Amino acid sequence: MLEFAVELFSDYTARTILLGAASLGVVSGVVGSYAVLRKQSLVGDVMSHAALPGIVLAFMIVGVKEQLPIFIGAALSAVLAVFVINLVTENSRIKTDSAMGMALSVFFGLGLVLLTYVQRMPDANQAGLDKFLFGQAEALVEKDVLIIGLTGFFALSVVGLFWKEFKLLCFDPDFGGTMGFSIKALDMLVTAVIVSAIVIGLQTVGVVLMSSMLIAPAVAARQWTGNMGSMVILAALVAAVSGVTGVALSAGFENIPTGPAVIVCVSVIAFFSILFSPNGFFTLKFKDAQSRREIRKDYVLKALHDLALEHDDPGYAHSERLLALGSERGFNVRKSLFALQAAGYVESVGEDNWRLTQSGIREVKGLSPLEKNR
Amino acid sequence: MSGKGENPVTPAVRVTDLTVAYGDKTVLWDIDLEIPGGSMVAVVGPNGAGKTTLIKSIQGLVPRVAGVVSIHGRPYEKQRKEVSYVPQRGSVDWDFPTSVVDTVKMGTYGDLGWIRRPGRREHEKALGALEKVDMLEFAQRQISQLSGGQQQRVFLARALVQSASVYLLDEPFQGVDATTEKAIVTILKELVAGGKTVLAVHHDLNTVSEYYERIAILNVGLVAAGRVEDIFNSENLMKAYGGKTSFFPERKTARRAV
Amino acid sequence: MSPHQLDIQLVAVIVAASCSIPGAFLVLRRMSMMTDAISHSILLGIILAFFLVGDLSSPFLIIGAAASGVLAISLIEAVNRSRLVKKDASIGIVFPFLFSVAVILLSKYARNVHIDTHSVLLGEIAFAPFNRLIVSGMDLGPVSAYVMGSILLLNLLFISFFYKELKVSTFDESFASSIGFRPRLIHYLLMAVVSLTCVGAFDAVGSILVIALIVIPPCCAYLLTDSLFRMISLSVLFGISAAISGFWAANWLDVNIAGSMAFVCGVFFLVVFLFAPQRGLFGIMREKRRQRMDFAEASLLVSLYNQEKGEAVKNHPDSRGMFRSADFASKVVGFLKQKGEIAVTGGGLFLTERGRERARMTVEGR
Repeated sequence: MLEFAVELFSDYTARTILLGAASLGVVSGVVGSYAVLRKQSLVGDVMSHAALPGIVLAFMIVGVKEQLPIFIGAALSAVLAVFVINLVTENSRIKTDSAMGMALSVFFGLGLVLLTYVQRMPDANQAGLDKFLFGQAEALVEKDVLIIGLTGFFALSVVGLFWKEFKLLCFDPDFGGTMGFSIKALDMLVTAVIVSAIVIGLQTVGVVLMSSMLIAPAVAARQWTGNMGSMVILAALVAAVSGVTGVALSAGFENIPTGPAVIVCVSVIAFFSILFSPNGFFTLKFKDAQSRREIRKDYVLKALHDLALEHDDPGYAHSERLLALGSERGFNVRKSLFALQAAGYVESVGEDNWRLTQSGIREVKGLSPLEKNR
Repeated sequence: MSGKGENPVTPAVRVTDLTVAYGDKTVLWDIDLEIPGGSMVAVVGPNGAGKTTLIKSIQGLVPRVAGVVSIHGRPYEKQRKEVSYVPQRGSVDWDFPTSVVDTVKMGTYGDLGWIRRPGRREHEKALGALEKVDMLEFAQRQISQLSGGQQQRVFLARALVQSASVYLLDEPFQGVDATTEKAIVTILKELVAGGKTVLAVHHDLNTVSEYYERIAILNVGLVAAGRVEDIFNSENLMKAYGGKTSFFPERKTARRAV
Repeated sequence: MSPHQLDIQLVAVIVAASCSIPGAFLVLRRMSMMTDAISHSILLGIILAFFLVGDLSSPFLIIGAAASGVLAISLIEAVNRSRLVKKDASIGIVFPFLFSVAVILLSKYARNVHIDTHSVLLGEIAFAPFNRLIVSGMDLGPVSAYVMGSILLLNLLFISFFYKELKVSTFDESFASSIGFRPRLIHYLLMAVVSLTCVGAFDAVGSILVIALIVIPPCCAYLLTDSLFRMISLSVLFGISAAISGFWAANWLDVNIAGSMAFVCGVFFLVVFLFAPQRGLFGIMREKRRQRMDFAEASLLVSLYNQEKGEAVKNHPDSRGMFRSADFASKVVGFLKQKGEIAVTGGGLFLTERGRERARMTVEGR
């Protein structure tokens, strides 16, 4: 594997391909962050699927597998799909999710119809058009990488130029509108940027899985940082690493299509981040359990106090069973009592009976529901 | 409609030690509440006070950390049919393809249980409830064509067909017109006069004394509960709302005098 | 029509009908994109189950693969519930991952599995008639018609048994649980049914185009009716018609049948979206125009009415000043004249008795 990697990086063609994969990663990481923050992750999915008929139509019109017309065709048809979604949701009771499902499947269906139509044409040139479905990085040549680079440069410049406006658009579009920014124009610009990222990923990752190249890096990055700048940079890094790794895997082993290989890499990073980041799933679960323990302890303390008040004696003892009445499943009252005992707030008076200590009585006075949430 | 509601000793709803938390946030803290049968109770409190959570947790719709809820002296789980629920109007999609009478009929589903279909009897019941809320002429109308007030009446009608003895309403006057508000109050008062118990999340402090006999003031914990004339005062409201409300009953009467 | 073509259409019709039934509920529950997730995720289930069972039409494979759809849904919900990832992004990271793993397995072991990456996307309905059910020498038709027929039957049974439960938990989830139904259970049952349907339909239409058959027919129906029952029945009709016309279109152009069915679904929706009586785009525009005209007429009448009540009768209002264009103004005047609500004499506009009545009603509100 190591030998293979050395070989890969020293080979000129291989370097070209890896450079392409890396730049694609950077662009989709950056741009995907916006799709995710705007809660439009699935729009990316629709757009990448919807690019297919554009690709095939461009080929049918131009007649050769030329990069630039295919890019333009793909972009136009992806944008058309977004337009259709907006048209339908604004003018009918059809909700966004259904409109997206329809656009995705109809455009993709049309793409496959056209693809099978083209494949019946007696022309050898169409061979390899179906590589756009799952991507094939090996086919990348210098010229392709150049176009990827240029398109990516355009997308990144737009993001850099409108950094503050895009941030506003993601965070609070209505507020942005009141400050005099044209939300519609910004929205179109973001869509354009997303489309260009999708288009340059078509050859490497393919239409079917390109959306994940946008979503997963951003999701992964979001777990590690709450700062937009760092998120975008981290997402770019994650995507670039996955792109390069995926391409290398696909080239190194037989019969592994590039797109799925890249997506498996990026997804693994995303799931790892969700589970193990400092604010991730396990930390969250741990914190939840901790605060639940606190809430339960407070509850037991208060319940003991309330019961005791009924006897006009704050130190009156009660059985554990009485305290456990009505508590949720898994609420082990005894555990809370032991914790309280360790803190010196309650004491056991044999036979599972418990009562508040003096410091427990003081503590319970300080318990106010509003304090709890501070 | 069991006769249990008439027993003066057992409260219609008894909530003991109710504590609810979402994640690390305590939403309800050790609530003890007894609601006597045949009373009309407002639940008030600032935003985030846990009013909706109270209504929901009484019915076990959100998990409790601790606490017992009994309806007419028996655990809620055994008394589900005694309780009918009117959720917030905004919680559903009114574009749902169904008619007014069908929506009201959903109130009979609980009695029908699984699988069995509503029939003639259920239809009659639904029409009867629609008549009570003065919506009979809209029975076949699609629900998206209703105004906010009409939608709320439909929800109330759905609760009426459940023939329960305890009514839990979540902001029944939210976004409804004045006529509907009056109509709903009248119906609720009729229910109470017939021995039913009504517990409603209420927002408008100005109408509390006019609509309700009892009140529960909530802010995570229970600030106070009891008869409106005893409890509904600036001291308790201060406790619940902090300085965040400009409404205090005394001042209102003063203004009225001017 | 050859028997072969008849068989293909038979399978297509059954597939389309089975898809539309749960589809109606998915659309109403705003879960259309969950179909996307399910239909992609089942591929992994199909392949893993195939490695275990070794037979593509085995019922174990179908059930195992369907379970993978439900698992994918619970994974998405778990990711979303963690509060770390938004709903749409949760969907968007889970299914491409499962799908990618499936495609890699498929490409690596393609020789062992009788499906390849192409049939995943294109479906193989054209081959459906070749695998026939033969019982003691008697040819009883294509196997897939029986497999899919059983799934259709199951879907029908599911919605007829749980119609009321599905309805109430789709419309108002918290109410449904307050009356003792279990919306989560219903939700998972529905997901299981959708997964099963996707697995069944996989052979015929592949894993992406099945979304078209599940989502689009109910959407067409949703714009045409206000009753849930009619919505479901209409979706079945739409699905069946799309299947048949999609087949013939594909036959005529010699292209992929599944893609053609999806595209025809889209065409159906376009027609409904434009021409549906009340909810179509043209209907809405007509209604908007009517309202605008109504409003314009009323405002002209009211302004005349107010002039009448005041003293300045000699100074008749110039209707042209009121409206955005002279053209529109004369149109309004023309309509009112036609209705006999105003009269035009000597260049001035006057209310007729009928016009005065309408103006008065507008002002006083009924």
